[in-house]
Amino acid sequence: MKGRYSELGTVILLLVPLLFLFAGPYWSYISTVIYLFVFQGYVAWFLLFRCGQFFFGYSVTMGCGAYCTIVLTEVYGWPILLSGLVGCVLAALVAVILFFATIRARGFYVGMVSFLLCLLFPMVIEGLRPITGGRSGLFFDGLGSTIGESTLYVIIIVSTAVLVALIFAFMRTKTGAVLTLISENDELAQTVGINTSWYKALAYVIAGFMSGLGGFLYVNFNATVSSVDVDAFTTIYIFFIPLLGGRSVPYGPLIGALIVKLAPELLASVERYQSIIMGMVFALVIVLLPDGLGASIGGFFQKAFLKVQKHGPRL
Amino acid sequence: MQGTMILNGIITGIIMGGILSLPVLGIAVVYGITGVPNFAIGLIGVIGGYTTWYFTADLGLPLAILIGMAVCFPIGFFLQSILLTPLSKKGADATLFFIITVALGFVFQGLIKVVFPKLSVSIALPRLGAIAIADVSADGVKFVALGVTVGTLILIRLLEQHTKVGKELQATSQNLRLANLIGINTGMVFGFAHGIGCSLAAVGAIFWGSLYSLDLTTGWSLGFTGYIIAVIGGIGNIWGGLISALIMGLVMSFAGYLLGGVWQNAILYLVVMLVLIIRPRGILGSERAI
Repeated sequence: MKGRYSELGTVILLLVPLLFLFAGPYWSYISTVIYLFVFQGYVAWFLLFRCGQFFFGYSVTMGCGAYCTIVLTEVYGWPILLSGLVGCVLAALVAVILFFATIRARGFYVGMVSFLLCLLFPMVIEGLRPITGGRSGLFFDGLGSTIGESTLYVIIIVSTAVLVALIFAFMRTKTGAVLTLISENDELAQTVGINTSWYKALAYVIAGFMSGLGGFLYVNFNATVSSVDVDAFTTIYIFFIPLLGGRSVPYGPLIGALIVKLAPELLASVERYQSIIMGMVFALVIVLLPDGLGASIGGFFQKAFLKVQKHGPRL
Repeated sequence: MQGTMILNGIITGIIMGGILSLPVLGIAVVYGITGVPNFAIGLIGVIGGYTTWYFTADLGLPLAILIGMAVCFPIGFFLQSILLTPLSKKGADATLFFIITVALGFVFQGLIKVVFPKLSVSIALPRLGAIAIADVSADGVKFVALGVTVGTLILIRLLEQHTKVGKELQATSQNLRLANLIGINTGMVFGFAHGIGCSLAAVGAIFWGSLYSLDLTTGWSLGFTGYIIAVIGGIGNIWGGLISALIMGLVMSFAGYLLGGVWQNAILYLVVMLVLIIRPRGILGSERAI
């Protein structure tokens, strides 16, 4: 029951930035930039911590969603929503093909192949420059020009909250329970007769589709996408989000995304040292707080709450 | 005409493979002995490259190269001794090492930005002019890079077979428990191996900096490319790494000729992906399981 409240609390917390609609365009812009990564961070959290799959192709699946949307809309004149849907399906296909391609591999090699794909992807985009625009990128009006920037902002925030609610709900289903079992003990799951490959493939399809949807939102918000947006560092940052936030708490990816995307904004005045500070924070959190920052913050507040309950507030 | 093109492709490919194999050697030495995949090794090598560039004007190139290599050795040694060995003892796996060394890569990248005044540098090695082999000519420095790779391999072999440290390195990589039992200070050996690996990466970065240039992203591409080539050869396997680098050099060379420079790296990565899918443990097999 406690876990359910915590999940509900997280979904409500995710909707708080809607208040920024009244705080001016700067804060709504910043929160959207963060939320586009919160979205991808939850996809990574789902696949890594809830399904136990090491996947480094997030920039690729996100790129599939983004590039399909912009290319099909701008070059071939398709309706934007249909383009986005095709992008999401393609992203799911790429993810599941990658899974089946690496089914023989074990351990880190699986991650290595998807990491290679994320190194390869921007090069393919560069090679297809006449269609994709390469490093210079492609531009389009996007949904923002049709429905208005504020509405798009609301859609991004609400979509993130809905995605997270869906992940929590899914993990409570029988399929979700099987995926949890596979992530905790793959061999045991196979021994009791579960077709683990089928369930893992399903996890990749879901994650790929959601990541593609994130790419669709990304390209509509920015109205542009280039090979730089989908390079290996995008995957590395997305992969760091659940690791920094932590596996055990539902609000972990939110905290992780705040560190990865908000901290550079706050460190703008010491831009020269930004990379050192960020790298140190990443390394220290992973070495010293293996359960992530979210779990530590949660633990701290829990202890403080228990202390207050036991001794009463100090006046 | 077609024969000349093929010959040109082969010679360019071998030279390219020779240059690529320098960071691969560093990676193979580190992984083969310590079992730790260090994805920041390219950036550490680039620190050595920048250091060489910095001292070249005042101290001359040979001394500057030695200083560049010497700077990288303690970075590798202490990184292994203070952080990676203790984590390894706690049961850290390859994924955790990947994450931590990538995080440290950001720190090294930031250090280069803070310490060195220029963001992009070229190292001026003595110009040897073009050397021609069967109608194919290439910059003499490229042949020197190839020679240095072969020389380094021979040096590593000699070190392994004829020195106490080399035998300790071999023993530790073959059987860690036994090495501990017979009194080898394996922690020290790990540190030493990581130091050597980083110094080798510095040599790779120096040649890279003389043929192209060094900037803040060079370390990442050297490290990542070096790593995937090492994986294809069978990570930790020095000879496998060399063969893989030569094959990949040929792949890049012919891809460049047939499809243009834009597709050169893309084809390389595609081939590597396919090899990993078909033969996950590399061409010659890894001496350690990841």
